[in-house]
Parts: sequence; C-alpha cells; structure tokens
Amino acid sequence: MQEFSSQAAYDRGEAVCVIGAGASGLIAVKNLRENGFEVDCYERDTVLGGLWNPSNQHSPLYPNTHLVTSRSQTEIPDFPMPDHWPDYPSSAQMLEYLQSYASHFGLAEHIWYGSEISHIESVDGARFEVVVKPAAGSAARRLRYAAVIVATGHHWVPNLPSYPGQDLFRGTVLHSSQLGDGSRLRGKSVLVVGGGNSGVDIACEAAVSASRCAHSARRGYWYLPKYLGGEPSDYALARLHSRPKWMRRFLTDRLLKGPRRLAARMGMDEPDHAHTDEEPVRNGRYLEHVGDGSIERRPEIARFEGGEVVFVDGTEMRPDVVVLATGFRPKLACVPAELLGVDDDSPYPRLMARMFSPKAETLAVAGLVESGVGVLPIVHWQTHAISHWLTIRKGDPERAANFRQQVISESDQYAVSSSGISPRHRLAVDAQEYLAGLGRIIDTLEQEPVK
Amino acid sequence: MSLQVWVRRTRSPEPAAVKREVNVLEPADLLDVDAKDDPDASPVLCCSGEPTGAAAFGPLWLKRIAASGRCAAAVSVRGQGGTPAAPGGAEAYAHDVVQAAIGMPRQAVLIGHGTGAGWCALAAARYPAAALVLVAPRKLPKRLPRPVGEPPVMFAVTEAEAQSKEAQAVTAAYGISPLTFPGGADEVFKGQNAEGLLDAILSWLNRKED
Repeated sequence: MQEFSSQAAYDRGEAVCVIGAGASGLIAVKNLRENGFEVDCYERDTVLGGLWNPSNQHSPLYPNTHLVTSRSQTEIPDFPMPDHWPDYPSSAQMLEYLQSYASHFGLAEHIWYGSEISHIESVDGARFEVVVKPAAGSAARRLRYAAVIVATGHHWVPNLPSYPGQDLFRGTVLHSSQLGDGSRLRGKSVLVVGGGNSGVDIACEAAVSASRCAHSARRGYWYLPKYLGGEPSDYALARLHSRPKWMRRFLTDRLLKGPRRLAARMGMDEPDHAHTDEEPVRNGRYLEHVGDGSIERRPEIARFEGGEVVFVDGTEMRPDVVVLATGFRPKLACVPAELLGVDDDSPYPRLMARMFSPKAETLAVAGLVESGVGVLPIVHWQTHAISHWLTIRKGDPERAANFRQQVISESDQYAVSSSGISPRHRLAVDAQEYLAGLGRIIDTLEQEPVK
Repeated sequence: MSLQVWVRRTRSPEPAAVKREVNVLEPADLLDVDAKDDPDASPVLCCSGEPTGAAAFGPLWLKRIAASGRCAAAVSVRGQGGTPAAPGGAEAYAHDVVQAAIGMPRQAVLIGHGTGAGWCALAAARYPAAALVLVAPRKLPKRLPRPVGEPPVMFAVTEAEAQSKEAQAVTAAYGISPLTFPGGADEVFKGQNAEGLLDAILSWLNRKED
C-alpha cells in the first residue's frame, strides 16, 4: 500500500472535493457535475441525506420533525418536490426527496461513504491537499484537488448551556438531538428549554404525550402559524415583496397582527427584533397549547437544586426529563480556522458573500446561512455561483480577479448587526437581500466576457 | 432559469395539483422484441399538443423508444387524455411536464410535439433535461427561455414548414438548424414517415452519448 502512505499525495487534477453528502453536498455535486467538473464527495457516515436521514448516527432529528418552511419555498429550484405532497413535508419525505434527487442525477457514484476528512491544507497556491480517513481499515489517504467545497452543515455540535447545580440534578438531561423518537417523553413530567423552532416543536409533542409539559424561553420570539391568510405563511409574506415598500409594511403588519396579539395575550415577552431579523418560530399549534394550559410557559432557568429546577421568577418545578432544545454551534472541524476567517474573538466564520473563503480562492462553504426561507434553494444558487466561478477561473483568470473584487464589495452588505444572543443569529441573513446579492453575483458570472 | 425568474415563480401561486396520466413503457415490458435494457441511457419523456395526450405516442413511439433500450414515457398534461382539466395556461402545462420529468428514474430527454414542443421548451428552462427535442413546434411562447444545464437541442420540422415563423424562432433561440422530414405535421405518429423521423431522433440521442 505504498501509494496510500502518508507521503504520497494522489493528484486528482481539476477535480473538486465536496465534504458532506447531506442536502447541501448533494446539490453541490450536482451543480459541479453539470458544469463539467470531476467530483469526489466524502461522507463520514454510511448514508446520504445528512441530518434528514435518521439512520445517520449523528442525525439531530427529533420526534415528528416537519419542515418549517413550505414546499414551494424549500424545494430545489430545478428539481421540484411532487406537487401532491403536503405544504409542509415531513422529515421522511424530505429524505425521500433527497434520495430521489441523488438517483435522478446519478450522484451516488461520486460519493465515498465512511470517509472523514481529517485535514485540509492549501498547497501550490490555490490547490488543496485533503487527508481522507476511512472509518475502518486502511490508513489515511492524501489527495490533491483543485478546489474544496465544504458542505458539512451546522446542525451537528449541540450548543449546551450549563446552569448552576446541573451536575447534581437527579433527572435526565438531554439535548434535542438525543431524543430519538418521542417515547422518552411519554407519561413524564417534561421541561423543554429553548424558544426556537425545535424547542417549540418538542414542547408541542410533549404537550400531548407527556403528563406535564413546561417550556422555558428566555426572551420573546415571533410566533408565526404555518398558515396566514389562507396561504403558507412564508409564501404569503414573500409574495408581499412584489408590492411597493409602504404597502408591504402595511400588509405585513396586518398579517402579523393576529399572532402577535395572541402571543401578548399568553403573557409572552414582546420580541425585541423585527420578524425578518431572525427566523421566526413557525408553529401553529404552540400558542393553542399554551392557551389550553397543556404547555406552561416559564422564564429562564436560574439553577438546578437536587430534583428541582428553579426559574428566574422564583417558581419551581420537579421534571423527570429536561430537554435542551438549545440549538447547535457551527463548527467546521476539518478546515483550518484561519482559512475561514475565524478570528480569536468569535468562533463564527467570516466568509465573503457567505460562501467564499476570505483567504483561499478555491475554498467555499455551502449552506452556512440561516435565512427565513428554506436553505436548499439558497445552497442551489450558492453552488451554481461557485461552479460558474470555478469554470471562469479555469479559463479566464483576469475576469476571475475582477469578479473577486465584486464579491468583496457584495459581502459587505450582509454584515448583519449581530444584536442577538443565540448562536444561530450569527448566521442569519435577510433572505431577500441575500438572494438579490447572489443574483448580482451570478449575473456577473454569466455575462459574456468583453472581447 | 435565472435566479430572478425563480424568485418570481416562488411568489406566484403554484398551478393546482392534478393526477397526471403518465404512460410508461420499459424495455423489459416488451415481450415480442428482444430489447437490451441500457441503464445508463437517459429515459425519454414525450409530450404532445394533441388532445389525446399520452395515448398519441402509444402504438409506435413508446414501443420503438423502449426497443432502443430506453425507458419511454408519455405524459398527458391537464385537460388531455386521462388527466382531468384544471385551470392554467402554458406555464401550468410546463409545470405538468416538469412534474412528470422528476418522476422519471434518471435525468430525462424531453420530446415535445406540436404545441407540446413549447411546453417542453418552457419545462427545460426549469428542469435540467438530458436533451430537448422539438418536433414540428406550433404556437411557441414569444420568448424561448434558455434551457438550464445546457442540454443538447434537436429540432425537426416537416419539409413544408422548414421556413415557417416557428422554425426561424427555434433556430434563432438555440442556434441549431432544423432536421426536415417528409410528410405532414400530423403524420408523426404513424406511417413510414413517422418511423423514419423517430429513428433519426433515436440515432441522434445515441450519437451524442458516445
């Protein structure tokens, strides 16, 4: 096995390395193939579909996960979901969709399963050396690629808060990703921590199956039902963007007035941000469960005391199970931090236009955004842009350099004022603005070169 | 499909879902001919402007395409054949073609005949077809959109219509010259001329995959 030893690096020429075979990775492979690139896609698990596949051993799916954005806003632009599917497909349907996407475009033959990327380093200017570590058996391999696209997603490393006395707590403390099916909640007294989508969904699940359910959220959120004005709410709100600005504000307010007044009536804090600043919580059942008392709203946890949980307002509770639905930390373990512009004071990557590495020209990250719309179309347009950019770079380096200037100026526009305290907030973009920026980037890339 | 076109589409109502009639014939379904099933060959999806829809392709087309080793299918868009009528214009018909295409096992070749050629051209701008074949196109949309994924395009017209407005529009939009075939535009489904045309299309499909 001399050729696979740690000394020899196999050169894959113009081929591109894609890390991760989840939704983002699959879309990246398909768009790169469409532009004529050789692609090697590495997946650490043995199945495709990433977080949507419950047989993926790291899958963060919780019981009864459904999409929070509607089908028309979530489907991949050039491969729509079947139109007889419901407005909000389940995670099982999402997996079926991704599997049919992979088989339709013949993506599976480019995926290497059970291969984790342990290291990436840039060599010879813009090329990359990638160390692939198989899950079992043979030694690590070194390969050289013309470009690397990181599509590992950001729902893998649980964001776990710690409270005083938590180590001595006698009940069970779980992160939402460890919940598996809902059987652990049945008949128990459950406390769900975290006001985001997962926290609210799990609280609704516990409201019907657990004997008692309390939900602790430390601040106000926007609670949107899944339908507004007889249409899926993300569609209803997105539609307003074709109207003039003053009318849009008026109509948006009118659409959001009902849910906001209801949340206020339930004694919840007013959200401290506009509904576009952060992804709203999309669940129509939550406020009704609060309204009929099957979910008890609580403020933030102050401390654990033996079997008791004390909240900041002084109330106490004795839960059997505490579910921490506190989200995830974005972590791109395989890529050297300095290539992603991660500096000391913040663990979050600073990417140009939210996809290109600020340091290395041919390193890009797909799908590291939180937007109000589904992430699949955004990844589609990101990888569309990335593969066009790689094509141009190959043929016309001068144009590529000009383009880089434009990306730098575009990326300044998404510097989101990060007032939020939750980690996901750092990845938030305004979907409409971001897509418009992506559109400008793609237009530049697709223009005929000036002769 | 540009990003702007997609954004506009996500903000307009989707055509009503209908239960579409899709006739599928796989090479393995043929009992009288010994067809070699080629799993790498792109399947073929046909769409016609005729009111009978998928049935129009039945006797000759699907059988002959399947005999060449490809999975053959034909779709009836809303209001044709066995598909119930539903409101919507050319965009809705294109939606039906795309929905049928994503149900195919692999990236499909779209063959459009008559008015169906225009719907297939619209569908190819929303779905990366393996190839686009336009046969005797009629009533094409005013602006032919650029197909996504840059599929190869083939275009066949009758000898009489070789200089027609539609033929010129297609030539201008895709930069290809037409293949002409003898006979009338309605004779593409049966007879000697139809077989010749179909063989020309199939050999074009096989050639480009070499």
